[in-house]
Amino acid sequence: MKEIKKLLILMVILIATSCDTNDDGFYKNIFIDVPNLVTIETQNNYNVGDYLYVSANFYRILNDGALLDVYQSTGGARQFVFSYIIEKKISETEWQVVTVNDNQLDINSGTAQNGSYVYGICEYNETSETYEYNVGFPLLSVGNYRLSFGYNSSSTNSVELRSLSSSKNPIININSLTSNLDGTGYYYFNVN
Amino acid sequence: MKKLLCLLLLISFASQAQESSILADKKNEFRIDVLSAIVWQKASLSYERFLKNDFSIGANVNFSNSKKLNDDFDNGYRNNVPKFEINPYVRYALSKSKSRYYFAEIFGSYNGGDYKEIIHVSGMAMPDYYTIRKSKYTDFGLGGSLGYKMYFKESFAMELIVGFGSNLTNRDKSPDVISRVGINLGYRF
Repeated sequence: MKEIKKLLILMVILIATSCDTNDDGFYKNIFIDVPNLVTIETQNNYNVGDYLYVSANFYRILNDGALLDVYQSTGGARQFVFSYIIEKKISETEWQVVTVNDNQLDINSGTAQNGSYVYGICEYNETSETYEYNVGFPLLSVGNYRLSFGYNSSSTNSVELRSLSSSKNPIININSLTSNLDGTGYYYFNVN
Repeated sequence: MKKLLCLLLLISFASQAQESSILADKKNEFRIDVLSAIVWQKASLSYERFLKNDFSIGANVNFSNSKKLNDDFDNGYRNNVPKFEINPYVRYALSKSKSRYYFAEIFGSYNGGDYKEIIHVSGMAMPDYYTIRKSKYTDFGLGGSLGYKMYFKESFAMELIVGFGSNLTNRDKSPDVISRVGINLGYRF
């Protein structure tokens, strides 16, 4: 009887280990590098009431060493997403994430959702065949601020965009170097 | 009291010997795997031919069409999905009793299914693009199993088996590991 129990336990272990635990869509991810797809629209001085705009506007055909049609590759993905964080300095060593309501964002193109980070969605424009995003974040009080694209990312000098492909199509992940960031991955600015 | 105990033991040995003798005369067995059917939606049928000297040979055939595996395959959570296995095996009974015994087996496996990969299409008069290409795979594997078998009413069998092996010739496309885990119900004749 003990041996039967051992066999049953072994069976359960084998069944458990044969379960699929790979839930990240590993077998359909494609990684490419294309610089300068996302920019921070910087200005010399910011005042309370201004907006900090982040924008992206890229054609469906990108240059990743060779020309690549990302729209066709993703089975016609209509959105690419990325994220960024805006923080305000609250002491010599501490920064606090700034949050606003979604309806306070100035959305010119694309879509954005704001929580502990801004979830930016570049929308595909059928006419121009480009993915577009232009959203302003309201600067509501005086202080020192910084922006980074490091949420869900280990990169300091680039933005990671990911296609929202339908379930059966490849997902394209674009690592895009951006020139607005300093060596630690932040864009610092002051609001007067 | 001692005489009664001896008598009971004798009856028990005699009964077991008679059952073993009846089973020894039955050389063939068919089984169906109820565990695979319930857990993996896999039809798994086995045949076993009993030889002399505690050896037996047989074959196991599986056909799988699991909705979960197919969905995982379509959604990119796995790059292959097994569809069939043909597993010939040789077994050796490790216990003396013919009605309840442990066994060890070595099995081969000819298995196949669907495979998919992302390919980079280039060199055409248009920009490059990626696409998913589906194909079929087949492979050969080898493995080993351990199990326990018991008979009821001299013909009905229940078998627990746990084993695994490895594919050998086409591992880029086929699963690395092949498993033989099951609870089989069978009939010996």
